[in-house]
Amino acid sequence: MEIQWWQILLLTIYAGWAFYDGNNTTFGMVKPTMAGFFAGLVLGDIQTGLVVGGTLNLLVLGIGNFGGASIPDYMTGALLGTAFAIQSGQGAEFGVTLAIPIGLLMIQLDILARFSNTFFQHRAEKFIGEGKYDKAATMNLLGIIPQSLSRMLPVFLALVFGSAFVELVVNNLPMWLMNGLKTAGGILPSLGIAILLHYLPVSANIMYLIAGFVLAAYLKVPVLGAALVGLAMAIHSFQSEKDEVQQAAAAVNAGGDMGDE
Amino acid sequence: MSKVEMTKDCKKVFWRWYFLGGCGWNYEKMQGLGYYFSMLPMIKKQQNEEDKQTLAKTEVQFFNTNNTMAPIIMGVDCALQDEKGAEAADTIAALKTGMMGPLAGIGDTLFHVIPSTIIGSIASYMALEGSPMALILWICFGFLRLFCMKNFFALGYREGAKIVSEIGNRLKKITKAANILGITVIGALIPSVVNAKFAYEFTRGEVSISVQELADRIMPALAPTLVVFFAYWLLGRKNMNSTRVTLLLVVIGILAYNFRILA
Repeated sequence: MEIQWWQILLLTIYAGWAFYDGNNTTFGMVKPTMAGFFAGLVLGDIQTGLVVGGTLNLLVLGIGNFGGASIPDYMTGALLGTAFAIQSGQGAEFGVTLAIPIGLLMIQLDILARFSNTFFQHRAEKFIGEGKYDKAATMNLLGIIPQSLSRMLPVFLALVFGSAFVELVVNNLPMWLMNGLKTAGGILPSLGIAILLHYLPVSANIMYLIAGFVLAAYLKVPVLGAALVGLAMAIHSFQSEKDEVQQAAAAVNAGGDMGDE
Repeated sequence: MSKVEMTKDCKKVFWRWYFLGGCGWNYEKMQGLGYYFSMLPMIKKQQNEEDKQTLAKTEVQFFNTNNTMAPIIMGVDCALQDEKGAEAADTIAALKTGMMGPLAGIGDTLFHVIPSTIIGSIASYMALEGSPMALILWICFGFLRLFCMKNFFALGYREGAKIVSEIGNRLKKITKAANILGITVIGALIPSVVNAKFAYEFTRGEVSISVQELADRIMPALAPTLVVFFAYWLLGRKNMNSTRVTLLLVVIGILAYNFRILA
């Protein structure tokens, strides 16, 4: 199908807004699942959008741009991957395959945007020296321009000029590569899980990992059900720890309130 | 605890941070510009120019912490300025640098890694099943986070710097419990979202045995589990980062399909 101009406009605006939301208000717009859903909604194929977004989201589950580290931008990847999957009619796996290099390339633009903002920092410091406090504050607002352009511009350009490129890829991709990419798409979520296993204190909590696995693999409990069992165990742990603190406080008889609410 | 009334300017500081604090992020001073932007109403309250200069220069310095936790520091900062004005500049500078590190560690875990893991897992899994419903959880989290931020700001303003160690201890307990939930979800995620099956079949005469059938008798989801262990091992190697592992996994997936190892 052809992508209409209003669809390009909506996806471009979403890219800028999602990035703003990710840095400020944090309502999940920057999550690949959300972006894929939105692109699917705009382009009239929600299912494809959800699969593209969901697969990409699993790659970056617990990663964040802590301390300003740039991470693969699968929000942009999900928007474009969904659009190209629907446009070419090649299915969600194809969209994921295109989205991964897009997400990785976006790291460079992210670095560029953060670098550009150094200019505004310098201007602000100069204005402060001159006593122009409001002007200095405006520099913070101007920082939103490089940030949002770094997302909006690639989305806009890729949607306007990308279809010919995608058609070329579709017509020249051999079957062995196409099917191989499907297998690759299946194992890629293991990376997101592996990153979390490195980050979270797993060795001290290995029993919960096993419990979750058994629930899903042997008992076929959906992830939400397993999460509820996890919540029950979390509450139990929280409460038993609180009791210990209270007992300790009672033993010491410090007389002050512990502030447990 | 008595409720301390906050001035209108303090409330402004909070909302400026909430809506626009992340706009000016840059490599040199990171959140410094956003922090200055947020504190502007307090700075402008000073009567003489010299005080304004001192405070403005203090607030625009390097600053970086978790943006959900930052309001604690801003609350303390506002309280100090309300109490002592520009005299407090040195205290404020020390306070900001002293508090941002510990708060970043707790905040990134509690307000980023854990919700991203739990909500992200559920939302992705349900999306792959074809339902967008779990996306609502992100919106709910956004409001929960706003609620926490407002409380952090009020706490910081009311209690001053001593709140940091106290709130740190309490959040550590919550983090510990939340880790249990997160790790359980990851355990469930391995067989649910990693899609790998053995493709190889032994054929001897008329009998053929598929490796997948053998694997199923050992343990369900054996192939996904092995793939996760492999990715975990790869990630722990020197010179490896997530980008390289992504590319490697794509190549391995293509090879595994074409050599009939995985389907």
